[in-house]
Amino acid sequence: MKIAFELNGIKQEIDYLPDRRVVDLLREELGYTGTKEACGSGECGACTILVDGVSKLSCLMLAAQLQGRSITTIEGMSPGKKLHPIQQAFVDKGAVQCGFCSPGMLMATVDLLQRNPAPDRQQIRAALSGNLCRCTGYQKIIDAVESAAAEMRDKL
Amino acid sequence: MTTYASPIGSSLKRVDGPGKISGLEKYAADYYPDNFLWAGAKRSDHPHALIKEIDISPVRNLPGIFAVLTHEDIKGANRVGVPEMDQPVLADRKVRYKGDPVALVLAENKTVLQEAIDKIVIKYEPLPAVFDPEAALAENAPLLHENRNDKNLLLGGRVVRGNSIAAMSECDAVAEADFQLPWQEHAYLETEAGVARVDEEGILAIIASTQTPWRDRNELAYALGWPLDKIRVIAPYLGGGFGGKDGITVQGLLGLAALHSGGRPVKMWNSREESFLSSTKRHPGRVHYELGCKKDGTLYAMNCRIVLDTGAYASLGGPVLALAMEHAAGVYRIPHALIEGFSVYTNNPVGGAFRGFGAPQVLAGLEQMMDILADKIAWDPLAFRLKNAVMRGDETGAGVWMSNSTAIIPCLEKLQEHPLWTSRQAWVSQAPPFKLRGVGIAAGLQGTGYGPMVADIANAKIELLPDGRFRIYSGVADMGQGNNPTNVQIAAEVLGQTADCFELIQPDTLQTLPSGSSAASRTTYSYGNALKAAALQLKERILTRACNMGMGLYAEDFLLSSGRLNHLPSGREIPLGLVAASMRPEERVSIYSYTAPVNRYPDKINPDIRAAGFPHRVFAFACHLARVQIDELTGEVEISDYLAATDAGKVLNPQLYEQQVQGGAVQGMGYALWEDFKLDRGELMTRNLATYILPTSMDVPDILSIAVESVEESGPFGMKGIGEIVINLALPAIANGIARAVGQHIFKSPLTAEQLLLILEKRAAE
Amino acid sequence: MSQVFLPHTLEELWTIKQENPAALIMAGGTDLLVKIRDRKLPPAVILALENIAELRQIERQDGEICIGSMVTHQQLLDSPIIQTQLPVLHQAVAVLGSPPIRHMGTIGGNICTASPAGDTLPPLYVLNAGLELKNAATSRLLPIQDFIQGPGQTLLGSNEILYKIRISIPAPHSQGFYFKVGQRKALAIAICSMASLLQFAEDKRILEGRFAWGSTGPTVMRFPEVENTLIGEKLSPIILGRLGQSMAALVSPISDVRASAEYRRLLASKLPLKIWQSLI
Repeated sequence: MKIAFELNGIKQEIDYLPDRRVVDLLREELGYTGTKEACGSGECGACTILVDGVSKLSCLMLAAQLQGRSITTIEGMSPGKKLHPIQQAFVDKGAVQCGFCSPGMLMATVDLLQRNPAPDRQQIRAALSGNLCRCTGYQKIIDAVESAAAEMRDKL
Repeated sequence: MTTYASPIGSSLKRVDGPGKISGLEKYAADYYPDNFLWAGAKRSDHPHALIKEIDISPVRNLPGIFAVLTHEDIKGANRVGVPEMDQPVLADRKVRYKGDPVALVLAENKTVLQEAIDKIVIKYEPLPAVFDPEAALAENAPLLHENRNDKNLLLGGRVVRGNSIAAMSECDAVAEADFQLPWQEHAYLETEAGVARVDEEGILAIIASTQTPWRDRNELAYALGWPLDKIRVIAPYLGGGFGGKDGITVQGLLGLAALHSGGRPVKMWNSREESFLSSTKRHPGRVHYELGCKKDGTLYAMNCRIVLDTGAYASLGGPVLALAMEHAAGVYRIPHALIEGFSVYTNNPVGGAFRGFGAPQVLAGLEQMMDILADKIAWDPLAFRLKNAVMRGDETGAGVWMSNSTAIIPCLEKLQEHPLWTSRQAWVSQAPPFKLRGVGIAAGLQGTGYGPMVADIANAKIELLPDGRFRIYSGVADMGQGNNPTNVQIAAEVLGQTADCFELIQPDTLQTLPSGSSAASRTTYSYGNALKAAALQLKERILTRACNMGMGLYAEDFLLSSGRLNHLPSGREIPLGLVAASMRPEERVSIYSYTAPVNRYPDKINPDIRAAGFPHRVFAFACHLARVQIDELTGEVEISDYLAATDAGKVLNPQLYEQQVQGGAVQGMGYALWEDFKLDRGELMTRNLATYILPTSMDVPDILSIAVESVEESGPFGMKGIGEIVINLALPAIANGIARAVGQHIFKSPLTAEQLLLILEKRAAE
Repeated sequence: MSQVFLPHTLEELWTIKQENPAALIMAGGTDLLVKIRDRKLPPAVILALENIAELRQIERQDGEICIGSMVTHQQLLDSPIIQTQLPVLHQAVAVLGSPPIRHMGTIGGNICTASPAGDTLPPLYVLNAGLELKNAATSRLLPIQDFIQGPGQTLLGSNEILYKIRISIPAPHSQGFYFKVGQRKALAIAICSMASLLQFAEDKRILEGRFAWGSTGPTVMRFPEVENTLIGEKLSPIILGRLGQSMAALVSPISDVRASAEYRRLLASKLPLKIWQSLI
């Protein structure tokens, strides 16, 4: 089945099995292994991507659903190697340990800051509640989001 | 010429951050080699059964199936396991737990792989199974490994100090309780994964999410019957380990698959459900404590009996027991003690290494006993701990000599002066309607390294590159704890360079040097010591060479800075590349082998326990405080505040130190409150992340961390390992807080809301 | 390999359905795709409704709120109409799943999955929601308590979709509450949940009290005879405690991997007191 969509700003037209999971399409067919899988059933958030700017779980999406959509993955956050301010905040605040949850956390954060540019810590915790982390205890991720939000507000 | 701030002691940003946060860093699960085959295992349906027949004929010729392998395809010994090699790569005669792999399928895609796995028919003759360690020790219990003299006892022994039976009767107060600890699932985000290929020269190369690349290589050579020098194992950054990847997980099956794939690469990546089914877990156990003291607050006698369920195979069930026994007296001087331990085979999932390694199970019991006993003599629980806590030079009640840095007392003092403790009565009294509040503490320790009988050796290699930058050949896998970034920090300190002057090669048995496992809180301590010395060697060589080149007269006149050598008397700057160019390649490489010191201890105890790792020498210490609030209507426990005071020696990187404290505490909170691993006669009831409950960001508070910096002379720049101490104390601190809120101690964990509400209801009715 | 259809209009939908009678309807996919992965459903042709715009509307007409079946939980959270007019539903979707699940999952999916733990269900029961079911030819209206027959069982015909949810706006001076107990604070299936809609007179006496219970029986449950005992009473811990005791005696929870029946029943007796806890 032919599927036409936009991935990280670049138009894609591929011939693909319609019921293949989006996480598999991204990782195996297109080589974008930044989006991870850690449960396959919507329980962990590691596979989070943006679909038309909204965070969704790519392990629970079928390739056919990509038609006409604009997808952003972690790789699309830093084109040309310069880290996005949110990514830089994650690095600066020590929010990355093993890093396997980090791409999903990042995409969830992008979604949050689009909806609420000035979240408090409790709101940040709620926004990230669909992303499990086993290494950090979440605290430095919250610190990073707080810091990124402040920086992005200052830049406006 | 510039000066720079010393990297050691600064929160230097982790060099692995940018790669990971941009999605470019590749984990073992991220490799999809050209033309690869998927490998997947058919696993046992029975907890204990003889294999009568394996019928692969229905699937061998299915379209998309490349091969189906059984134990008959294994040329080697078909046994893995350290120290006891009792686990087959593919089951041969019998299966011992539901999850034991019996056949291996190689397929073009995952759909046909699963189809084939479903269609393989295995005829079993079920055997009586045993799911309880006490039952497994009974006279006529079904035997898991029939040829063992000790039957279902993997390891047992006792530690005797004085005469605790007599001494108990001399105590003014005695408390006794039985504690039940559950399995804990590692639940790393990256499940077990890897790729493997045999190339034209017969080299079997495996990229795996593993904590033990060199040991894997040895095990694979033996198990698969492939020459050791033709096996290469590479360990990229792991997406979490915590002990669950300490040893063979998928590597045996991957290696076997690659040996039968006609040169095609093979990939194996466990689904979350398969990870639950097949991976090792924290040993569940029953710990019985009897603890007695004098009315002046001195601990006097302790009896402790530990029974651990090690499941179907040995894994590290011996060393975990030995460490549990070693930590059973915690941080206290107790003149009379009897510690008995048993690590027992059952047809349950395999118990193996998990952060804390036996310490969480015993400290869960001991630290609640301390509160119970303190209450009996009407002593403040923190003062009671201070009274009995060891100092350097003391022996613990387990007979372990605190020969190295020991700062548990300053940790306790930090808690004692902290407002979270001093204001506890006011805080408790301000509980809102329908809420109960309590404040609990716990103190403990964690031995680092492998103990007295297994050498803890790290071999560092660092190279001055022709362009004047440096390359560190990492020997120990980084599972997220940050030992790799810390290596950069250590080398930066010694060589006067900034972090961007370094390249890192991840552990690779072909390129880097054997340096032991990423485990036992030893990774920065051991490799860091080796690297520090290797870097110093290289530095001296560089400075001497500069003198050789006529750049100056004395080595001590030179100062290294990023990419340069500065000759202080003349002000001249020499690019490092120039010095490098004047060196032979072998001169630019510096190697140093470090062996960690061990506790030289007279053989007071069972030599098998000693061989399993008792005792250690360098210990980390900590005490934790939890303020808990219980909802009387639902039983839910909220951790309102949490404080950790940790002695892990000098802090090399405050941010990284906090990362460990915060992450370990939350993993400990999971063990305390939510992670209720359920089994029914060997069958997993909690088989995925929907039913095995990990804490989310909404369930846990911010954690306050206080670093109590002793100086550990044997550690690089005075540090000690912190990886495990951080998880050990959440359960007892929270349990003690709950007990004070509710009015009774709860001995079975996790302390779920269900358990709490039913207890509150029962108390209200009485 | 299975086909996946994403029609843009209802007309397209009916055509595809007719040609593929065994096709599985997919709303947000968060339940359906997990069931297929767990092999509780065989792989099949999938008919996804997400591109049909008329299923995504929230409208207020003549004292009634109409919610399209494909309205996502996030849309409900973001909707001022839902927040101000149906706060009991708003509170429930705030604690449903997690942010990405709320972006994908739909109210229609939650209803048709018909799990007794579905978070939107107790609120819809106390709101006396009506469900408009449609097929190619006609439509019909069913009260939600008739539509859901048991765990995972509804009266949805094989040629029908759930089209709209119709809810009469509650009387003024009504207060809605949703309390859920899960094993953790997010990504949690309800172990016991309670929705309540209370209508007060000027003197604060209860004119009407509705209570619906989740995860304590094969479907969401209401007990009108117990509800009636509240009429004329003022809210107090005693009244709420007594209510809890009565309702707890009537629910029929089961024990499963998440919780025991005993714990669920005990929670049922306590949850009404959460109303008091939230007001003081």
